[in-house]
Formats: sequence, structure tokens, C-alpha cells
Amino acid sequence: MTDTIVVGAGLAGLAAAIRLAQGGHKVSLLTFGLGGLPLGQGSIDLLGYTHPAGSSHPTADDQAVADPWAALPGFIAAHPGHPYALLGTDTIKASLAWLAELLPDWLLPSDGVNHLVPTALGAMRPTLLIQPTMSWPSDAKSVAVIGFQQLKDFFPELMAKNLTQTAQVSAKGYLLDLPARDQEVDSSALRYANAADHPDFVSRLAAMIKATIEPADLIVLPAMLGLASLDPWRSLESTLGTRIVEAHLAPPSVPGLRLNQALTRLAQASGVRLIIGSKVIGYEGEGDCLRGVTLHQAGRDQFYGADQFVYAGGSFESGSLTVDSHGLVHESLFHLPLVGLGGDRPLIDGDYWSDQAIFKVGVATNAQLAPINPDGQIVWSNLRVVGGLLPAAVRWTEKSGDGIAVSSAFAAATDLLNQTSPKKDN
Amino acid sequence: MKRLKTDVVVIGGGTTGIGVLRDCAMRGYKTILLDRADLAQGTSGRFHGLLHSGGRYVVTDPESGRECAAENAIIGRIQPEAVERTGGLFVVTPKDDPAFGDKFLAGAAKAAMPVEEIATSAALAREPRLNPGIKRAFLVEDGTVDGWQIAWSAAESAKQYGGQALPYHKVTQVHHLNGAVTGVTATDLKRGETVEIDCSFILNCAGPWAGQVTEMAGLPPVSVIPGRGIMIAMNHRLVNTVINRCIPPADGDIIVPLHTVCIIGTTDHPVTDPDHLQVPANEVQQMFDSGEELLPGFRSARALHTWAGARPLIKDDRVATSDTRHMSRGMAVIDHSTRDGVSGMLTIGGGKLTTYRLMAEHIVDAMEDQLGSHHPCRTADEICPGNQAGHNYLITHRLKDREADRLESPIICECELMNRQMALDLFKSNPLASFDDLRRQLRLGMGPCQGGFCSARLAGLACQEQVMDAGRATGLLKLFLEHRWIGLWPILHGAGVRQAALDAWMLQGTLDVAHIPSPARVEPDPISDAPIDETWQSSGQKENQ
Amino acid sequence: MFEAASYESNLLARASLDSCVKCTICETQCPVMAVTPLFSGPKYVGPQAERYRSGLTVDHSLDYCSSCGTCSLVCPQGVEIAELNSVARAAMKKGHTPLRDQLVSRTSLLGQMMKPVAPLANAVLANRPSRWLIEKTIGIHRNAAMPTAQRHSFSDWWRHHRPSKAPTRGKVVYFHGCAGQYFEVETSIKTVEVLEFIGYEVVCPDQGCCGLPLQSNGLFDTARKYVRRLAEQLNVEVEVPIIASASSCVTMLKHEAHDIMGVDDPTVLQAGQRIREVSEFLLSLADAGTLPGDLAPIHQTVAYHAPCQLKGQGMGKPALALLSLIPQLTVIDAEATCCGIAGTYGVKKEKYAIGQAVGRELFEAVERINPQLAVCDTETCRWQIAAATGATVVHPISLLHQAWGLDQD
Repeated sequence: MTDTIVVGAGLAGLAAAIRLAQGGHKVSLLTFGLGGLPLGQGSIDLLGYTHPAGSSHPTADDQAVADPWAALPGFIAAHPGHPYALLGTDTIKASLAWLAELLPDWLLPSDGVNHLVPTALGAMRPTLLIQPTMSWPSDAKSVAVIGFQQLKDFFPELMAKNLTQTAQVSAKGYLLDLPARDQEVDSSALRYANAADHPDFVSRLAAMIKATIEPADLIVLPAMLGLASLDPWRSLESTLGTRIVEAHLAPPSVPGLRLNQALTRLAQASGVRLIIGSKVIGYEGEGDCLRGVTLHQAGRDQFYGADQFVYAGGSFESGSLTVDSHGLVHESLFHLPLVGLGGDRPLIDGDYWSDQAIFKVGVATNAQLAPINPDGQIVWSNLRVVGGLLPAAVRWTEKSGDGIAVSSAFAAATDLLNQTSPKKDN
Repeated sequence: MKRLKTDVVVIGGGTTGIGVLRDCAMRGYKTILLDRADLAQGTSGRFHGLLHSGGRYVVTDPESGRECAAENAIIGRIQPEAVERTGGLFVVTPKDDPAFGDKFLAGAAKAAMPVEEIATSAALAREPRLNPGIKRAFLVEDGTVDGWQIAWSAAESAKQYGGQALPYHKVTQVHHLNGAVTGVTATDLKRGETVEIDCSFILNCAGPWAGQVTEMAGLPPVSVIPGRGIMIAMNHRLVNTVINRCIPPADGDIIVPLHTVCIIGTTDHPVTDPDHLQVPANEVQQMFDSGEELLPGFRSARALHTWAGARPLIKDDRVATSDTRHMSRGMAVIDHSTRDGVSGMLTIGGGKLTTYRLMAEHIVDAMEDQLGSHHPCRTADEICPGNQAGHNYLITHRLKDREADRLESPIICECELMNRQMALDLFKSNPLASFDDLRRQLRLGMGPCQGGFCSARLAGLACQEQVMDAGRATGLLKLFLEHRWIGLWPILHGAGVRQAALDAWMLQGTLDVAHIPSPARVEPDPISDAPIDETWQSSGQKENQ
Repeated sequence: MFEAASYESNLLARASLDSCVKCTICETQCPVMAVTPLFSGPKYVGPQAERYRSGLTVDHSLDYCSSCGTCSLVCPQGVEIAELNSVARAAMKKGHTPLRDQLVSRTSLLGQMMKPVAPLANAVLANRPSRWLIEKTIGIHRNAAMPTAQRHSFSDWWRHHRPSKAPTRGKVVYFHGCAGQYFEVETSIKTVEVLEFIGYEVVCPDQGCCGLPLQSNGLFDTARKYVRRLAEQLNVEVEVPIIASASSCVTMLKHEAHDIMGVDDPTVLQAGQRIREVSEFLLSLADAGTLPGDLAPIHQTVAYHAPCQLKGQGMGKPALALLSLIPQLTVIDAEATCCGIAGTYGVKKEKYAIGQAVGRELFEAVERINPQLAVCDTETCRWQIAAATGATVVHPISLLHQAWGLDQD
């Protein structure tokens, strides 16, 4: 069997590990801590916004992308260094279809267009693959936004007022006094999800909603209707007889935790050996062939050899890309060559709303996602760089992070599987 | 339009102005203070937080040293809650001349300032992160002080004597008739209203902006040379004692533990416009280098936020204007009746936060000299409201408070442990508060996440509790993020980048804050609103501590 | 004028708070926070509260932390959350640690006291009125899992033990831990027999306690003494690995002595480098293809629980991969964060209910998967699971011992 090491357990790392393991590779997934899925919105973005030509500011003038597949060719043409340009529409499409099939309980099959999902601040956020709980009915005219006094990250009044503009509905906010558990005044959405996994909480919630709100076409709640399953959401909908949509809120993200849990279980069920809690601090290789990485484990450093490697360490937020106190940018593990450092703009400027150039810095790769140096030579032929490490995208304003993670992981894993399938088995 | 009548108008709501308001009120004058921005939003809120023992000046400026030592004791008595008795160390690093230590001891003796030379091993035991190569160490009575708390508790004290502080009131005209002051015209920026105030005396306490006030009065310019200094707050206390470099005053010579952070300062460059202070990259590097000299590993610690302040230095003809550090830090009172033939107006400049009370005493004495009346100054004797218990600030206070009430009120700003009740109480007393106004009093958004988690919560809370509508809440949220960024981007590296990226993921990515419509303007811009002069029309330095 | 700091502190752990971006991942995984609002959670008591500490610990609710270390394990930013909290707890408890915590922190002492009167001790611990009395007087919960005293210690066996075959692949040093000496004697014996079966000569020096329970109860000074003494005792045959069946004690030597208590003696660090949890060691042999393959099938499905202290070593769950070598044996990862005992946490009367709530998911998984037999690497966790479910809970080595046919010997 081919030994493959995947570094990083975010969406990209988990997706790559699963695909490689399902393809027959013996996969070790090395991760310093939990990946970023529990911090994200728990839907799968492809492309949500494009700026008007010449603008580098995500402003209220931006156009939300309704049909990302239609927008993608133009976007690729305008962003030649972007991971999407490297991967191409067909691969991107195949990868998202693959992911949706992998998670049938959690993701609705795509209808090819972006969905608009409400956020705790009252934006309508464009995203491609949604969880069943996130589907906003287009015929909703009146909306009841319901939060909890004990959940400080969800703001029904603010959200309702903003939704009247962003979703063109009449909306009213309600704040329920329903603690996630006794004596608690400060609960996260996760604590509510834990509570909602018990049917008696859902019954109490339903009764309180019935007693409190005026009739509405749609109820919006913070994303908390179940972590173990979506049964709490289903049961609440059927009890109330009203459609319910879960809104995005700040971490911890219950929808993100659902995906993280499902993908981690899939990885383990596929035979992936998951090693969490130790940092990769070094590597060994000869020529352009990487031989292994050194893991800083408790007590001592341990070498893990492999035939192939996928690097899915994330970007600046996870410290795979770093800026030192002199302002120099580094890829912290393999010291790979970066792109995006030149350019006429300073890497960081004083305009909060501009797309900071620093966040477009990433690892230079070829079309197969192998790292390359400025001459175009491959640095490590058996290493693939995926996800947040790839350059030229500002993921949070484009709403492209998940799409880049999934499609690059899918492409890298497919490529590695193709390379080894006819060959040796050790 | 609103019309008010008073004895004295104080222009400038920094600690000096507020000290003056308090002193005037305590001496029985009906007094109104005006500031175009929040109280202590200028220099008083943009320093490193040192309550001088005097040690910094005992060699170069003994008079300042003596004043500092005396005022340090007074502030510790009248406003103890704003003071932490951290103690201070003057250390001779391997790069410094140990002989300066002898001058230091001699100067301290002359200024009657308590000092004790201790073994370097004792200094290292006390502050284990100190450069192990230090050659000498001196213990002094430096403390740290929260300039905003000083300002607000002095303002409360003034209020008890009828003194009225009106922040966000921008003076647009200064009136005098037949060589005597008659009043001022101001704009209430938050309410968009003109306020006419009749008065017989004006005390110009605008610090670096004092020249602009005299200009407004049509008087020959008072030459104020603002000295810009940058500060960098580090994410946590690397030291619990004030660490001074035992050398003549220089850039990056001090690290001050204040609240949950420690602040390195500072630089000194003359500037012409105190409204537009930069944080130049080379000065940031200079601070990191200096920090490394005092505390090895400083560069790899997390830099949290940076800001620049302007020293209110009055030009002293004895030194070149390019060398602001050597101007008198002592105070200077300019009497416009003798100087310009307009009675009823005094301008004060120079000084430092530690001596704010003394400055006030001097200018009010000067006013009374002109008025020919004499009341004793009692500001040193009376304890400010909220300080009667006599407790000094301790780093553990908020943690202890939250331990007591965290099962009652949710914590909105987790980094700085500000809970829901604290925010609501402040909104109740000041419904027009912006998020930055609230921050200056409650420290919202001043910890590691720099508003990443708490700012949206505050917007939600303010709207939910009907303190403001959704448009203003959304607008203030965006404004707060813009303002935080001003102090972030010049120092962004290390863990700060990770935080900035996560914050962007949450606010711009998940919550999509950029695409929610909000009014173009939710707060007045004190710098560009109600201009009296075209040159004021720009924005640059908005918020930045 | 001023006094020097004289409190527990750990500059390295403190420096790591700078890495915290407040992301909440630790809070999503904390097993205590999940079951009680009384604990403000790892982010709060760790990097958040640490900014407000200067040797003084004013937030006494941090004592609800069970020290399981899950927060440090899952933190993607490298914040030493559990370590920060342990240090703060030690600062808080300095000088006023209750007798109960002193007592339960001394496993060896308990074992030595109970061994000569094993039947009586076991009877007392099984007796409701006496347990009630113990709860009232010293604060150990009446229903808390207690070890079963043995008439004979591991050392009694070892003194008379002769290997059944000559070694073929060198020596290893065996570390049994206090529980392996007095209570889990069977596990220790089986570990030695397995090591000898696969060809090692086992060396077993006299050895004391690693100090882990003392450390988790905030008694750093004594814990430091213990771990230093143990490291000296294990400082034999320095070229070969030290193999242990007490996975929690391994953690102490591998990193907690250093990361939490700041112990940096070369002997301790060297012991930490040499020590291997037995499954970790056997899996590395298996991965290298040098483990005997003739494992007999075991027709069972069992739940496996990886103890927090083992997960905290950052090497995954080696027992899972190792046990998958046994034909017909289905091992299901219970996927529980913690069993709730957390060393001595779950026996304390004020923490008992929390410990039981923490373990509930695991107990349910065991009952669902196989209510008779479950597998877990650490002894205190085994006692907890056994007490809660009635299942026999064994160390992974027991199943290997059986599969290699050593049970019949």
C-alpha cells in the first residue's frame, strides 16, 4: 500500500485524506489541533461575491453571485493566478458533487445556484451547498427572528431590522428566556445544540415559540437545532407547522461542527490514522522527493516516513503562513516559495475594508498543485499543496474558501491516486 | 440654538482641562468644559500609562522630577482606583553606561525621590524576563495609571461642584470685545446643535491643539510643537514592574504594565498637525529592538495595538524646534492680556499626566491673580468620587468581579472581561455613546481579539435594548472595526496576523458585515465636522488607542 | 521596598497565551464545560484569565477543571491551556490543600496501606456505611470508583519470576507505575509476559510514583520530588526504551513534568525521551514488520476508550491500530472525550456528579457495544468505566496476551 501523509485536518485535509483512503492508500492524517471547520459557517461556498471592476473594497455595492457556475469562467479569466484558474471548472464541479455525495445527511444536493443564508447580523450570505436547515424559502414574506437571552452571539432585533432591507421581508425579532441549561446565562450555540439533541428541550422551545410569536411565513433561529442529527430541526418544524431556517453566527459554529464530526468519522471509517496534538516541525527529502516529516510529540520528536504528502495546513489564520516581526512572510513547515509578495501595493494598508494584499500571498504551485520555485521547477514532486495555502484568493470576501479547499484537495488526491494505482505496492 | 452662561469656559477635555474644570468648580467658579471629541481622547488617552516616580527626569530635569514625585503621591491619594502601585526598575543594559547610574542616584537624592539599588539577581528574580545581562538595577516608586479613569473621576468630582463637562462640543468661535473675553460658540456634534456660551474667562487647555484655539481667537499664534510619540501595547504583561532603561531619556526607553497589557514607548518627532499622526514602520522596528534589549524574546511576543500621541510642548526659545525632547516638560502658562492685550484668557502647555493636577492649580491660580480674588486650591486634599475606599487598582480586579457575577451577566468582551450589565449601565448614562466612547471607559475591544468577537455582540445588544436603531448599531460596528484597524495594521505580525485573519473570517466571511446597508454617517467626526477652517477638513487620526 | 515573586509560574506556558485567537475550539471539546455551567471553560480559565494573573489566583472556579488536557490537545494555535490552568491551580492551593487531596494524590501510600489488609480494605470500600463515613470525613464520594486491593504486589511476582524463554532482541526497561504495583498487578504481569514473548529481556528496577496525582491536585513541590526520584530509578540501561503500561504516568514523564511544573532536569527529560506506552511501542514494531503475526482470533466486539492522558501525548490512538491486528476482533472507538475520573477528580464528593456526567456518553457506548468487556489503557479510567457499567475493562495488552496464547501459561 502507498503510505500517504496528510498534514492538516481542516476541510481540505479531511477531504484529501478521505479520498486517498477510499482510493486504497494508507493515510496518516497529522494535525496540530482541530481544523477550522468548527469556526466556519458550515455551508460550502464556491463564489459569493465579485467586486465591481477596479474596486478592491467589499462594499454594499458588490453584486452577490447568483449563479456561480455561470460566473466562474469570467472570474477565472479575471483572476489568472487564482486556485480556480489552476483547477478549472470541471474539476471544481466534480469535487463539489463528490463532497455532497459523501455527506448526504448534511448537505443538500446542489441545484447549481447560490443560496442566500441569513447571518446573525442580518446579511443574506451567498453560498452554494447548504445544510437542509439553511434553505430560505423564496416566497417568505414575513419572518420571525428568534433568539435567546442567554445566547449573546445572536441578535434578533438587529437581524430582523437588517433583514427587512437585505431580504426584503417584514421581520420581527423575539428574544426568548430559555437557558440551554439551568443556571446558565452565557451559553454558546453548541450548548443549545447539545440541549436540542434532547426532545424535551425542543418541546419546551416549541411551546414557548407558540406562546410568544405572531404568525409568520418563516422562523429564523440561530444554528443550534441539533448536533447529533437534524431531527430537532425536523421535529420543531413539524410541531410548529412553519418553515425554519438556521442562521450563521460566530464560532463555535454548530453546522461547522456537524461537518467536522461527519468528515472525521468518515476518515476514521475509511482507515485514516488520525494523529492529533503534535506539530510537524521538520522534514527530510532527497532531490525532489520528500521522504518524511518529523512530528514534535510529547517527550521526543518522531519521524513519519511516507511516499506521498498532502499539505493542507491552512493559511495565515492557522499559522502555516506567518509574518515575522520584520514583516517577512514565511511558509512555516516546508519553507516553500511564495507568490504574491511583489506588487505595487503594500502587503498591509490602513483601509480596513480593502482586500489586504497579504492575504493573497500563498505557496506557488504548478497545475498539479506541486510546489514550485520561481523558475517553475518542482520543489517536491510527491507533495501537493491544497486549501488555504494556495495564493491569490481573499476567501472571506469572495466567499470561496470552501470551494478552494474541496476542489484542490480533490484534485490533489485524484492525481496522487492516479500516479500510484498502476504501480508498486509496498 | 442653545445659550448658556458661565464664569469660565475650559477648552480641551484632556486630563489638564478636566483638572482645571475641577479646580475652578471647587474654588466656586461656574465652569463649563468643551471638547470636540470624547474626554481624554487626545494625548491623555494616548500615552504609555506611566505614573512617574520622577526617576525619568532626576538627571536631566530635576524640577520635573521633584514635581512628579510629589504629584505621584497626591494622585495615589485622591484617585487611587486609577493607579496601580507596580513599582519601577531602572536597569542598565549591557549596551548602557553603568556610570549613568551614579548620576541617577545623585539626582534622586537631590529630588528627594525614593530609590534603592538592588542586586541584578534580585531584579531578575522579580522580573524573570529581564535581560539577564543587566549590569545595575534601581527600584523606584513608578506606578501606572489609566488616563481615562483619571479624567472621568476628576470630571465626576467637578460635577459635584457644579462643573459641567461637555464632550463632543466643538468650539468654532472665540469671542472677545474691547480687549476682554465674552464667550465662545460651539457645535454640539452629537446633536448637531449650535451652543452659545457667555463667559468672562477662557482657559485654553487644548494641549497640542492650543495654537488652533488662540488662532480662532484671532490672537498671535502660540507656538506649540507637538511631539509625536508612538506606543505599542503587547498582548499580555511581560513584566509586572515598570521597566525603565537607566539612560538619559531616549526612544523606546520604557515598558509599562498597564491593565492586562504592557506598553513600550516611545519615540519623539516634531509634527505640525496633531490630527494626523503616523506610526512609521521604522519607529515600530525601533520599539521592537528596544524591547528586545530590555526583555529578550520581545520580538516574538505578540504586539496587540499601536497608537501615536502628541506631546503638548510649548516652544522654548532656548532649544531648537527640531529637538522636542529637550524642551521643558514643565508647564508654561501664557497670559494673553499681557501678551496680546486680551484679558480673560490663559493658555497652558507642557506638562505630563502625572502633574495634571498641579498644572490645573497653576493656571487657576493665574486666573485668580488676574481676577484679583483668591481661593485656596483643594484639589490635592479631596478624594475623587469612587475612590473613597482607597484601594489601588490590581490586575486581578476584573477577574475577581466576573468570578462573582459571571453566572448572572454574560460577558460581552471576553478579552477584557466586560459584561452585559457594564455596557447597559454606560449606555444608560450616555445613550449617545459610540462604541469607542464605551471602549475608553470599559475597555471593550482592547484585548487580544481587538473587537473580533465583542463588537457584533455590542451592536446586537444596543439594538435589542433599544439604545439605538439597527442602522446606527450596524454603522457603529463598522466604524469600530475601521478604528481598531488603524492601530493594528502598522504592527501586524505573528499571532496578530492569525487573529486578524480569524476576525476577517468571522466578521466579513461568516457574518458578512460588509454587505449590510448602514447610514454613511453614524458618528460625528470631530476633526472634520463643523469646520472653521478648510485646513481642518480631512480625516486621518480618528481613533487609535 | 518590594518583594520578589514567590508563586508558581511557568513562563513558557504563559508565553503561549499570546497564540490564543479566542476561536472557541477548546470550548467545543472540553468535557467538563459540556456538562456543567459551573466551569467557565478552558479558554476562560486558561489564556483569558492568565492575562489577569500575577501569582494571585482569584478565580477559584478554575478548580472545576479536571486537568484532562483535551483543550491543549485540540488547540490549533498551540496554547498550553491545561498547563496554564494547572499552574494557576497550584498557585491557588499553595499552603491550603485539603487532606483528601493530599491522600488521593498518594497512590503508592494507599496501595502499601491496603495490601496487608487487602480483604478488609476491599470490604470497607464495598461497605455503604463506611463509604458514607469516608465521604463525610474526608470528602471521597460514596459511589466513587475505588481500586481493588491485591494480596500480592507486582514486585512480589517479579521477585519470583523467571522468563519462559531466552531473549532474542535485547532489553527493555519496564515501568509499572503505582497502580501497576499494587492494584493492576495482572496488567503489569501480562505486559512483562508479552514483552518477553516477543523476545525482549525485561529489566525492572525498583520504582516509585511519578507524582502525577500530586501535580493534578496542585501539589507541585512534592510532585517534582517524586518525578525526579522516579527518573533516577529508571536511569538504568540508558540505551534501551522504557516501556510502560500506565499510560497516564507516561504523560507525566514525557511532558507534564516539564510543561506544567517546569522540571528540566536532564534525567527527567531523558526518561521522557526513552519512555514508550506499550501500545505505542508494539505498534512501532508492527509498522516496522517485526511483531510476531501469529495472533489467534478473538471473536468479540469491544468498545475502546483512549484516555485523555494518552491522547495528550499527541501520537493518536496506537491501541486502535494495534488491536486491529487481532483477527475477528472488532474494536470500536467509543469516541468519548473523557471518562470523567480524570485521575482523582471524579472521586471527590463535590466533583463526583460532574465526573459521572462527563463519562455518561462513554458508559452508554460501552453498554451499547459490549456491556461485558471494554478496553482502555489507563487504570483509573478502567475503574471508572467498570464501576459505572459493570463491564470488565482491560488494558489492550490483555487482548494481545490472549491472542498470542499466553493466557494458558
